[in-house]
Amino acid sequence: MVNVLIDGLKERISNAIKINQSIGIILPAANYPDLIQALFERISSNPEEAWVYVTVTKPCENIINQFDFLKDVKNIKFVDCISRAAGINKANDNCIFVESPTMLEKIGLEIINVFKEVDEKVKKYLVIDSLTNLIIYNDPDIVTEFFYHIINRTRTRNIHTISLAIEEEELDKYLTRLIYLNDKILKVRDSFI
Amino acid sequence: MPVSELSKKDEIKNELCKTGIEELDIMLGGGVPTGSTVLVVGSSGSGKTTLCMQYLINGAKEGERGVFFTITEPLFKLTKNMEGFNFYDKKLIESGMVNLIDLRIISERLGLDTEKYTVEDASALLDILRDIADELNVKRLIIDSITALCYRLQTPEMIRDFIFKLGSSLAAMKCTTLLTSEVPPRKFQYSQYGIEEFISDGIMFLGDIERKGDLIRTFQLVKMRGAAHSRTKAAMSISTKNGVELTPLLKSRE
Repeated sequence: MVNVLIDGLKERISNAIKINQSIGIILPAANYPDLIQALFERISSNPEEAWVYVTVTKPCENIINQFDFLKDVKNIKFVDCISRAAGINKANDNCIFVESPTMLEKIGLEIINVFKEVDEKVKKYLVIDSLTNLIIYNDPDIVTEFFYHIINRTRTRNIHTISLAIEEEELDKYLTRLIYLNDKILKVRDSFI
Repeated sequence: MPVSELSKKDEIKNELCKTGIEELDIMLGGGVPTGSTVLVVGSSGSGKTTLCMQYLINGAKEGERGVFFTITEPLFKLTKNMEGFNFYDKKLIESGMVNLIDLRIISERLGLDTEKYTVEDASALLDILRDIADELNVKRLIIDSITALCYRLQTPEMIRDFIFKLGSSLAAMKCTTLLTSEVPPRKFQYSQYGIEEFISDGIMFLGDIERKGDLIRTFQLVKMRGAAHSRTKAAMSISTKNGVELTPLLKSRE
């Protein structure tokens, strides 16, 4: 059942990102592990693409340990906004550490710097995991402004964006405003398969 | 200043001296007008020295010789701090494209190691700075910091005269000068003595803002004579990989 769910998610994400510049994924917290597994499997099975994964949710070390296959994946670079703030100082060549999730300009700078080093012909993708957590560390207005900047800057550079929003009972009103800036919204439901 | 010298200065100003920091050159409308004297203002740790050194090294990489006069820290400390940055290239120092000079040693050799300079002392120092710039044929010059130097000048008139004469003679050599100015943190002032900013052609202000207890570095071009420059406040990042980088500052109120 789990594999079916992950395969279903992978297919939905792949199809959506092919035709849309930016997609927002709204998902219940319970489905978060399945979704990121689907994302990482999608990334690792397309080594010709370049991905930047901004994590505000889990330290990149934890993600790599959780998904062992990521240790050999070369087409993903992490921008970890949480480790340093949590006092985790372990270095990782595949990861750029931002001191704090409040340093939004620095996050934006690091994203663009990674993509600048990628060949123009290579397809580029950005994942923001997650808008929900950015709002925990920042005021919603500044996250909105940040997200506008990111969406506009990535569009001009032909970078596809996937942003995650985790909903509990109901999606926060700020998150609703943010997530609908994307070209396409995917809603993940336990029962959608 | 004689009219002929003024028109010469205007002529020079049409040329631009690229800092080599991409976003800064965009904010400047291409670069600093050649021959300008620019004040780089900031509190301790704001990135003044790094920005100046990057400007100097980027210039040397483009074939423009430069000199860095340090007053605030010994040369070994300065080079040790810079070695960590990717932009730093030791070969440029060895080849003489970038010259690092401890101004305190020069002052001592000139017998100027007194607490306060007389008018004659200031004049002798000015001459030596001009001679070094001329002899090395430098196009970029840094004094880090003008605050420490001004501390030894006894009156506001001496400070005004010193900076004005230094700026004028370096402009005639088509040398673009950055002077670092130390100010207390979170104070909206451009210099310690309140004179330096009026004589300078440009002001770059390095500050910070607090966001949820974290400090975000900021950069603002307050003034740049002869340039249609941006006045927006940018966020500034300093990293060993890329040195100083600028990006639009998010403006939403906290």
